[in-house]
Amino acid sequence: MTSTLHRETLETIAFRAGYLALFAFLLLPLIVVVATPFAASGRLAFPPESYSLAWYAEFFNDVRWLTAFENSIIVGVGTAILATVLGVLAAFGQELDEGSRIGSIVGPLVLIPLLIPPVILGITLLMYFSEIGIRGSYVTLVLAHTLWATPLVYFVMRSVFSRFDWQQLDAASDLGAGPVQSFVHVVLPNVKHGVFVGGLLAFIISLQEFVMALFLSTASTETIPVLAWTEIRQALDPMVSVVSTFLILFSLVALALAVVATNLEWVSKQLS
Amino acid sequence: MSDANTHSGLAGSIGAALSNLPTPAELSSANRALLLLAPLLVFELLIFVVPFFILLRISFTESADDTVYEAGTWSLEAYGEVFTSGLLRDIILYSFQLGVIVTVLSVVIGLFYAYAIWRSSGIVKSLLLLSVVMPLLTTLVIRTYAFTPLLSPTGTLNDVLLSLGFLSEPVQFVPATIGAVVGQLYIVLPYAVLAIYSVMATMDWGLVEAARDLGASRPRSFFEVVLPQVMPGISVAAVISFAWSVGAYAAPDLLSNGITFAVHAEDLMLSDMRYSLAAALSVVMLLAMLIGVALISAVLSRFGGDFDLA
Repeated sequence: MTSTLHRETLETIAFRAGYLALFAFLLLPLIVVVATPFAASGRLAFPPESYSLAWYAEFFNDVRWLTAFENSIIVGVGTAILATVLGVLAAFGQELDEGSRIGSIVGPLVLIPLLIPPVILGITLLMYFSEIGIRGSYVTLVLAHTLWATPLVYFVMRSVFSRFDWQQLDAASDLGAGPVQSFVHVVLPNVKHGVFVGGLLAFIISLQEFVMALFLSTASTETIPVLAWTEIRQALDPMVSVVSTFLILFSLVALALAVVATNLEWVSKQLS
Repeated sequence: MSDANTHSGLAGSIGAALSNLPTPAELSSANRALLLLAPLLVFELLIFVVPFFILLRISFTESADDTVYEAGTWSLEAYGEVFTSGLLRDIILYSFQLGVIVTVLSVVIGLFYAYAIWRSSGIVKSLLLLSVVMPLLTTLVIRTYAFTPLLSPTGTLNDVLLSLGFLSEPVQFVPATIGAVVGQLYIVLPYAVLAIYSVMATMDWGLVEAARDLGASRPRSFFEVVLPQVMPGISVAAVISFAWSVGAYAAPDLLSNGITFAVHAEDLMLSDMRYSLAAALSVVMLLAMLIGVALISAVLSRFGGDFDLA
């Protein structure tokens, strides 16, 4: 009996040590990124030897970074709008007619782009956009990012709609509301939190996406991740850490908003 | 994505109930549904399906000196190069080796971490979930870049290991294949954890307790009760990890000297402007990965891990 207890204690200790190590593994790189630009020396080291805010001030004087930031926001907002419209409409359509054959292919179809390596998607889309002559505009980036953001919006909305009380819709149409009217006045107010979270996730996906953007952006449309990549390939630049910190903060705020609107466990499930 | 069918039962019954109502609005519901699905279907067709046919077409063209490819030609030249070039063979093999190693690590570690999240509660559970979600919300570039100061010969890990006496001289973790493996693992692990966790979260802990009450040891109750039930989540985790790691770009490029297919394809597209060869290489890699995914699901489905997209 004592030996069993002894073994179980050891197992518990090993189990805890295991997940604590992984917890550190998952968060340490992010902490490194946030902490390094405070180093006054400008040498990339962790932990930093001394601290300064100079690199943070530098960001706001650098035209290239500010332009890239603007590009990221434009592409992110465009992606959020397009992906939300496509995802919400499709998820709603599928709720209306659950058993349809065309509806049943939508789920797998929107997921496939997520399972294709982004480099292959980037190559394919670059060839396609060159072919049809819309290379080098924000449109190409928005369309590419929408390919990845739409499945998230779609599955968030499917799970939101599945909790919606559909009798309200019948009541609306019994009272004489048209399809568009009842969607805007009855359905949307009930699912607005889901729409918000979906749009927010789409925006974050676009903000963070890098490989497709590398292929599709040009000098005038390059986004933050693309510029960061070019910079770190040349030298370890503390400015990259500064920008990364901003992006991480951005995502944290967005995540906090999403959690306030729903809850963390639900958001985590939507991401998988 | 794996939890999508957990609510389709409810949604399905609502849908069935809706279609049984003989109101005039319901008569046209199939048409209205189609109208609502149409924008997404048209988008997927124009931005996903058609582009892949263009890729396929370009892979069968002749290369050209002055343009990216010779339009209007039909040729197997690019495929010939993919299958005969020793350089490309090495690159493809290296990509698959990296993909397999990262996939195995990602699934095993992901399973462990998902289990830890499932078993924890309160603030610990929230912190563990946060540690998975935060990297997901951080760009790939930063996630990869962060490992340079951590793993370099003068980096944090070497400092710690040296001062603890585990090492007598610094080890070069980056640039080296181990750096690429760690970096790529960091990229795919959060997805693997969430895919497995979303299945685990629907499981009943009482079953594990019952097994233990009947005398099963903790490892045995895990392998015989928990594991079979989370197989669908494991399948999703394996397929995602595999597809993304075979196609790994940032981690191998920044953290190792090895050239993966993705790194080489980027060169072909953006520096060498050899579209025909890049297209043929992409098509071959896609087919090879499809076979890989089919093998993974065949193996896992023998253990109950039917891979189901929706």
